[in-house]
Amino acid sequence: MDFYLGLAQVIGVHTLLGLSAYCVLLTGQVSLAQAAFFAVGAYVAAILTVIFKWHLFAALGVSAVVSGLTACAVGFPALRVKGLMLVVATLAFGEAVRLFFFNFTYQIQAGELKIGPHGAEGFRQIRYFPEHGWSTFDVLMFIWLMVAIVMACLWWLDQSRAGAVMRAVGEDEVAAHSSGINVTAVKVLAMTIGGVIAGIGGGIFAHYTTHIEHVQFGVILATFAIAYPILGGLSNVFGTLLAVIFIQGFLIEGLRFLGDWRNLLFGALIVLAMNLRPRGFLDAGGVASLKRMLFAGKESSGA
Amino acid sequence: MDLLDLIDAAQSVADGLLFGSTYALLGIGFTLIFGVMHKINLSYAAASIGAAYGSLLLLSGFTAAPAVIVFMAAALCGGVIGALVYFIGFKFIPVANPLATLMSTVGLLLLIDEIIVHTTEGVPLAYPALYSDVVVRLGQFMLRGDLMFVFVLGCACMVLFLLLLYRTRLGIATRAVSQQPIASQLCGISILQVNVLTFVVTGMLGGIAGAMSGAAIGMLSPLLAQPLTVKGLIVTVIGGLGSIPGAIIAGLIVGALESLFQFLRGVTERDLYIMMLLFAFLVFRPGGIFAKAPGRD
Amino acid sequence: MRTVSVAAAALLAGMMTSVSGGALAQERTVKITGFGAKSGVVRVFGVNSEAAMKAAAEEINKAGGVTLGDDAKAKLSVEFLDDRCNAEEGISVIRRIASSDAFVAVGPTCSNVAESLFGILQKKVGDASDSGLQFPVFADVAAKGGLAAISEWAFRNVPSELEMYKSLFAWLKREHPNLKTIYGGVEKDFAHSNATYGVMKKQAEENGFQLLGTGEWLLNDTNFSTQVREMRRANPEIVAISAHPFTTCGVLREMDRQGVKPKLLIGLTSSSSIETLQGCAKQAEGIIIPTSFAPVTAEAKTAAENVSKQGGSMDLHSAAAYEIMFILKDVIESQKIMAKPDTVQADRNKMRQGLAALKETKGLLGTVGRTNDREAIKPYLYVYAKDGSWQVLHKPSS
Repeated sequence: MDFYLGLAQVIGVHTLLGLSAYCVLLTGQVSLAQAAFFAVGAYVAAILTVIFKWHLFAALGVSAVVSGLTACAVGFPALRVKGLMLVVATLAFGEAVRLFFFNFTYQIQAGELKIGPHGAEGFRQIRYFPEHGWSTFDVLMFIWLMVAIVMACLWWLDQSRAGAVMRAVGEDEVAAHSSGINVTAVKVLAMTIGGVIAGIGGGIFAHYTTHIEHVQFGVILATFAIAYPILGGLSNVFGTLLAVIFIQGFLIEGLRFLGDWRNLLFGALIVLAMNLRPRGFLDAGGVASLKRMLFAGKESSGA
Repeated sequence: MDLLDLIDAAQSVADGLLFGSTYALLGIGFTLIFGVMHKINLSYAAASIGAAYGSLLLLSGFTAAPAVIVFMAAALCGGVIGALVYFIGFKFIPVANPLATLMSTVGLLLLIDEIIVHTTEGVPLAYPALYSDVVVRLGQFMLRGDLMFVFVLGCACMVLFLLLLYRTRLGIATRAVSQQPIASQLCGISILQVNVLTFVVTGMLGGIAGAMSGAAIGMLSPLLAQPLTVKGLIVTVIGGLGSIPGAIIAGLIVGALESLFQFLRGVTERDLYIMMLLFAFLVFRPGGIFAKAPGRD
Repeated sequence: MRTVSVAAAALLAGMMTSVSGGALAQERTVKITGFGAKSGVVRVFGVNSEAAMKAAAEEINKAGGVTLGDDAKAKLSVEFLDDRCNAEEGISVIRRIASSDAFVAVGPTCSNVAESLFGILQKKVGDASDSGLQFPVFADVAAKGGLAAISEWAFRNVPSELEMYKSLFAWLKREHPNLKTIYGGVEKDFAHSNATYGVMKKQAEENGFQLLGTGEWLLNDTNFSTQVREMRRANPEIVAISAHPFTTCGVLREMDRQGVKPKLLIGLTSSSSIETLQGCAKQAEGIIIPTSFAPVTAEAKTAAENVSKQGGSMDLHSAAAYEIMFILKDVIESQKIMAKPDTVQADRNKMRQGLAALKETKGLLGTVGRTNDREAIKPYLYVYAKDGSWQVLHKPSS
């Protein structure tokens, strides 16, 4: 049972990562900097709970703010460019952040041990959860509470005027601009929201893996962050969740019985999925037919 | 001592420039596919390394095949893989979904890397190099023979490639498709044919680039796929999307800068500065080195 | 949303069956689960560990299997799971194993995975306020120093690099009193290489060698001209490289090109594998590496042959996995482990106590000592590369 609870934790945290990219993708921008914001969140939250003995909630709050500010600060210059230029610019920024943590050492003496981030050797013993007696189930509930809040906020945002504006920018920037939308402000806002979400996700990541080091936050993680919303489809937040379940639950853990074939299938199935559903698992058409089905059933009004 | 430092700096730049020719070749491949398809093929560098592995596999029956044959085999493998990449990752995905092709090429990147890992267990393999024992010395200064060979070969490939693009019917058709896809279709150019040929040709180029990387390093490892992908992307973007001369110059510059920063700032800060420089460059000069008009996508 | 939840449920059900798949056979079998990297560039480690564990299980079964707590005889079977050298996946794998009837797991390959999953284990046994996982894990490969100290449920059968390099540099001082200067090289972004370089540097200086400088590079670097040029200027008598085969070979080639010919070369323990020889046998000629495995005894030779029959190769890492299987057999017998579905937690506790109580174990090269912080002190020897194979240079009598 513990295994499924643990897997659900992983899915929850990756959903947060995916949602942070989802937000930015809504405005039509592909950002490979999400792993960097995730890293900022992870390091900030871990330093606060381990070195300064803060409560986790406060630490996560601060990590979300710091990460959001980082995203906002990088958003202004970065969003001058778009398309592939932005992909590479954010990739460069993400790598710069990772390399910053590669060089980052901040340790204090605690008893006979030194604790805190230590450059290339990483930051070990972030054991807030076990030390405070949180069971796997408690952690799971906490993670999914965060996921539910973030998803609800994004859902609400999507339904509101702000969401329509974001999508307008994503669909046709020139048209959006002509109708009086401040395109840069919208993009930077989306980036900032994405940064906040990644900061929360990263803060939790640091605590449930208990050890963080710079290599974890490289290009691969950044690619996964955008892979979730793209695979899932951009029509609503559940697409991202579905894609995370597909990758983490099915491709990684579900196919384990295939042994060596699992790794080969991993890439192949992503290619296949994109060929079959180029607009993602949950595209607009899919959502419409789903709605019809739900209306016919006349129960459960979506989560 | 100051003079020695200067010589060292010059030596670092020279080493980097020579090594940069492999980046330039990869950059050309990325940029050409982007020019024709208006999409990025993230699996390109991995396919190139895959082609170099393929050449080893192809020639495993022969003992000590001459390096020229190895390079030709790599080009052949590269062409085949290029065509496969087109049919698996591009052909069936609607043009209007650039995100989907982005993801499908990521999938292909992972797939190719994993196939390499499974056939070789991830163990580095020795790769034959031409002139690896030749070193040209000028006092303190020295140039590696194998890298000079790689550099010359790289330049030759580029020239051949430019000739192909500007002097043959295929080249003209390719450029027509990249500029005006619908008009060129109306003129009777088969887009499918042009696309496939573009992937085959860039694949061959990538195969040679992969073989060159293998020859310059003396080894092949699946470890190479990720850094070469990142370098190739950077070169493509700095050179200006779709610009072949830009990609060549950018490849050499990236190689030289990397080596220079290694000399000046050491390894832990080297990439940090390069990335920050790149970020600034992209943001303030988004059109690349040979920018035509600002804000091109 | 309903289709989504239905799909999720189907998915979960699918995974459920794959977990509880091992049905009870008529003949008692005890499944030992190993895990480690079987994909990506470190795949070879996982393949070797799996082969070593299987070879050892076969040996044990041939000799009659293992005696359980109720005096029943049981055969050992081995299952090996891939963690892709990823911390989150490593945690999932250990939770999966802990959700089964297993009472111990063997792994992982990568130190970064070990860091994370030792972190989720309970830190101190019996500490009720600590909700960490209570499951013994026995590491065979993860080599970064001091990992087992993270949790009292974590054990390692990994050679102590501190001891090995301490002895190596002392030996160098005795055997080559005329060599004084040393130059280092390190793969800076790989935690294990980086930590081991710290050990090398300290031991070299304590033995009176003069460190002329350090060349630094990254795990996937390909151009080493700047670093080697500085090395050439320093003109050291000894060059010590703490890096894995890919960059070790790259640096050795560049040294060859630039004509850097130190009188002695020293390498990282993990490079004493066939990978280095496949990559650059000519340039690596003469490199001295301390290792905890070489086929020098009759027992070690047969073991190495058995492992290659299983499709792997025996090196210092997989030898540890091989030895672990025999250690586990001894502990199962001495602690009277029942290996029944209803004694799982008791078996785990017994296993942990048994492992913690060990003062010494039998290794392929001789007796292995166990320390209080659950690490091994393994016998070692120095090998050097000669004509494309590893030859024994010296066996310290410790």
